[in-house]
Amino acid sequence: MIKKASNKYLYLLALVPFLVVALLYEILPLATVIYKSFLPDTGGAFTLENYQTIASKLLYRKAIMNSLKISLTSAFVGIVIAFFGARAAHERPGKMNRAFTAVLNMVSNFAGIPLAFAYMILLGNTGLMVNIGKELGISALANYELYTMNGMSLIYIYFQIPLSTLLLIPAFDGVHKQWKEACTLLGGTPGVFWRKIAIPVLMPSILATFSVLFANALAAYATIYALMMDNVALLPVQIAGCFTGEVRIRAGLGGALSVVMMVLMLLMILLTNAISRRFQKGGARR
Amino acid sequence: MKEKRAAPLAVMLLVMIYLLIPLAVSIVYSLFRKWTGVLPEGFRLDNYIALFTDGEFLASVGRSIAMCIVPIAATIVIVLLALFVTTIYFPKLEKYVQIICMIPYTIQGVILSVSILSLYVGSPTFLSNRLLMLMGAYCVVILPYIYQGIRNGMRAVHMPTLIEAAEMLGASKLYAFFRVVVPNILSAIIISSLLAVGIIFGDYVLIRNLAGTSAPNMQIYLYQTMKHDSTMASAVFVIIMLTTFIITLLVLLLQNKDTKRRQQQVKE
Amino acid sequence: MGYIHFENIHKDFGQNKVLKGITMDVERGHLVTLLGPSGCGKSTLLRCLAGLEEVTSGTVSLDGKDITHVNPRDRGIGMVFQQYSLFPNMSVAQNVAFGLNMKKVPKDTISRKVAEILKIVGLEDKAEQYPNQLSGGQQQRVALARAIVTEPKVLLLDEPLSAIDAKLRRNLQVEIRRIQQDFGMTTIFVTHDQDEAMVMSDVIHLFHNGLIEQSGTPTEMYTQPVSKFAASFIGNYNILSAADFQKASGEAVDCADVAIRPEIVRINLEVADESKRFHMEGEVVNSLSHGNLMRYTILCGGVEINADIMFEKSHLLEIGQKVRLSIRKTNVILLNS
Repeated sequence: MIKKASNKYLYLLALVPFLVVALLYEILPLATVIYKSFLPDTGGAFTLENYQTIASKLLYRKAIMNSLKISLTSAFVGIVIAFFGARAAHERPGKMNRAFTAVLNMVSNFAGIPLAFAYMILLGNTGLMVNIGKELGISALANYELYTMNGMSLIYIYFQIPLSTLLLIPAFDGVHKQWKEACTLLGGTPGVFWRKIAIPVLMPSILATFSVLFANALAAYATIYALMMDNVALLPVQIAGCFTGEVRIRAGLGGALSVVMMVLMLLMILLTNAISRRFQKGGARR
Repeated sequence: MKEKRAAPLAVMLLVMIYLLIPLAVSIVYSLFRKWTGVLPEGFRLDNYIALFTDGEFLASVGRSIAMCIVPIAATIVIVLLALFVTTIYFPKLEKYVQIICMIPYTIQGVILSVSILSLYVGSPTFLSNRLLMLMGAYCVVILPYIYQGIRNGMRAVHMPTLIEAAEMLGASKLYAFFRVVVPNILSAIIISSLLAVGIIFGDYVLIRNLAGTSAPNMQIYLYQTMKHDSTMASAVFVIIMLTTFIITLLVLLLQNKDTKRRQQQVKE
Repeated sequence: MGYIHFENIHKDFGQNKVLKGITMDVERGHLVTLLGPSGCGKSTLLRCLAGLEEVTSGTVSLDGKDITHVNPRDRGIGMVFQQYSLFPNMSVAQNVAFGLNMKKVPKDTISRKVAEILKIVGLEDKAEQYPNQLSGGQQQRVALARAIVTEPKVLLLDEPLSAIDAKLRRNLQVEIRRIQQDFGMTTIFVTHDQDEAMVMSDVIHLFHNGLIEQSGTPTEMYTQPVSKFAASFIGNYNILSAADFQKASGEAVDCADVAIRPEIVRINLEVADESKRFHMEGEVVNSLSHGNLMRYTILCGGVEINADIMFEKSHLLEIGQKVRLSIRKTNVILLNS
């Protein structure tokens, strides 16, 4: 009947399954990849050789640049569309709003192979839109080239929209209607309200969403693989190629590329956090 | 103060149209024989009939379902156990559990799959079993969603008070957690499981990199079909999207019901 | 030694000393209130008795037995929490039956007891409803029923009414007191509301910074505060330093502070002389209606004094009006701490 602290530690046993799974399939694999990135694939001791390869070979430099470019562009376009979408949803509650969020939720799972397939039908070499474009003489559609970096950016933007809008809609709840009313009574135009009050208040959420979008685009793999196989200079494709390629497995190089990708994500998080802190100084809430 | 009310409607409508076009086109595509001009020609259901009589397709559906059940059940159990111990007995450890659970958010499919693969592929132990690797990877991928669902559920039912109340009535902490708290966060657990189902259903990266083509799920089946027969693939596509939508719809429905139940609180 | 006995209880949360040596007794069958502002330690002491917090040092005994290190579930104590403590997945009847099930009481006894207790708290028609279908007041009745149906040795109520709106609160205060007296249930009630404490208690313990500031019956607490803190927390005392008091009345008093209840202040318009009373001259600076009472603030020699007068339409004072106050000397409380 007397309870003492000693048997409390028996309960730590219940943590074991969680720790085993986390260790085996999360912590150890990650640690190994990072560790192996410092070992040469030909065997030997600690080296920066893999990182030098990345820095010197055009293919990998291009992969990093392409990945950065498409991630930044698609995240930027995604956030702009999401801003107007979420604002519209915020200003107009009702039936349309419910349909809007329902559609967003549904297409938020629309990614990977199915998305690639839908775009192939739509804008591939003999795609529907391309055919329609040819018949109606719309050259932008008729000459659309899906299988290029620019062509694929449309797909990236597509999967960014539901994610970013769903992330931003709750943030707009923090923009109180009374602020707008107060601003108008004090003589501010709607433009002033958005520039001086609403956007600064929303900025931390916008930045956080931006970094999620960036990471999301940077890691996107299935869609691109379905369209281009291994023949494209993008980070995730090159990483997977190092481990699953027909030739030989280059765990060191692949590891180093993985580390580069994780560092890019981390840098983006740190950067957006730093900017966001400047906006929060004024007491604006998250 | 009357504003222009049409603008927001137009924005929502435009975004919805943009998002729905690829879906609508694929659905129509799967139902017609030919669509090379502006309008499709020759309505037919052949693709669907062929699909549902194809043993390989049905097997891939079965695999997709089976691959959801094990990792989700396992993850729910390990997270519940971990949160039981940390929230009640070792609150200081909770922070670390949270960090472990959130890391998979940032390391996504590709890195996770290749790191698991390169670690265990040459292992002489049972760890080199490809299916086991896949299950482990799925557990990790859905960890953040399950963790957050359970954690939010615990917060919403004010778990500490519930446990104290049960204790004062003669229940042990273990009994209070599993018989009082868990039944009350069941809807939160179901919602996060459905989200996890959506993720595993939509997975291509992990299964391709870890299990190869030895155990194709619906995604891999779609990928293989679209290489040689695009109308057939469009039918597979429609079925995949339909399942995903049903899952999302269920999540939305349950979430609505859950929040309504909480807001229903009768006023005096 | 009382039915419940706290002996020199200390409780620290890290650096924060919440209880600094509480020794206190509770008599069997009494309703004892722990009163005080938030953070004074009253809830912590209650939780130490329940076993939900371990004491840092000291002993708690109940019915002659040391229970300091006994599991909460083995102490035989019932408790009602501030809110959210009903199990949302169980009906009202299932909630009430929970404790009896834990004690492995036979099924038919359980259903009989549950029906009885629900009748007592007036919810016999809600047995099959779920907590979210009940109002806050009804939920707390269920919580009360759930706590007393197991016939605990002590019932603990931790601010059970603070989330309930004012009107309903009055009814529940009376009802809890009635049930407590019917059952002769030893009860400890925690609140920060002095009116609530006055209405319900046999004994009040006033807490301040982890110590008991004053204990006594409601009347004692109201009429004889022992300190400035007690006087400011209970009633609406005018509290003046001795110097201010001298400025207002012209008479010196031998103490640190003076406490005057507003309802013993008389407002006279004519000069009256009586040596048994203090007299002050001043000017009305504010008036506030409290329904049947008017509270006037009168500035006497630069010091503000509140006086409560029964509302009479023909005798209203105006702001700026010159008045004389008189206060019976025996009613003025001299404080030294």
